[in-house]
Amino acid sequence: MKGAQREVTFSTDQIDAYAEASGDHNPIHRDGDFARSVGLPGVIAHGMLQMGILAAVAAEAAGGAGRLRRIYCRFAGMVEPRDTVTFAAEEAGPGKLTLTAVNQRGEPVMTKASAEYL
Amino acid sequence: MGVEGKTYPAVTSVIDRERVAAFARAIGADPSEGVPPTFAAVYSLGATAPLLFGDPEAAVDFAKLLHADQEFEWDRHPKPGETVTSQGRVISDISRRGMRFLTFETHTTGEDGSSVCRSRALFVIRS
Repeated sequence: MKGAQREVTFSTDQIDAYAEASGDHNPIHRDGDFARSVGLPGVIAHGMLQMGILAAVAAEAAGGAGRLRRIYCRFAGMVEPRDTVTFAAEEAGPGKLTLTAVNQRGEPVMTKASAEYL
Repeated sequence: MGVEGKTYPAVTSVIDRERVAAFARAIGADPSEGVPPTFAAVYSLGATAPLLFGDPEAAVDFAKLLHADQEFEWDRHPKPGETVTSQGRVISDISRRGMRFLTFETHTTGEDGSSVCRSRALFVIRS
């Protein structure tokens, strides 16, 4: 099994689409004024949107979404609209994947990420 | 301490086909591949976390909440149209150096009671 990789440039449209589909309407993801009022630089992407893309890349490396049995990640950095994140999955032994997500400045946005599959 | 060990009422939800398709498109997954694994953010974590956040005894300040880490473990993935039941529980509630660390676990089962998914979320609440 080979690894998989995907580069995603985030947009407010994608963040809005995730908020609608997931039902996570925390205003830090939708309302820039609110986000700034709680000390953020502006709206940020949902951690679960980042993890969803990472899981989709892990599923590709695993040979299908139905084969994923576990995924873990630590949310280490904020992702803002226009950030470009490279999501990658690499084999780390039988049924195991090491996952990474790094932004355009080389900073990891998720750390200690891994997955297992059947 | 805090609400450690507190179990919240079980929540039953239907895996909605249209919502699954919209979710798949939002994360760049192929909607024809079935329910994306992290749709568990909706049927498992998302179905139960509002009970924790809305619990006056838990007193979670949502504006200071960070989702610090997340794990999902699946016995199987649910199918569109399926009814699942999820129950959340606070595994630990620790305050340290002015920060509060809440570990919230949700167990999702199918209609026959068989295990579908376990979600473990670590929430950090800044003071």
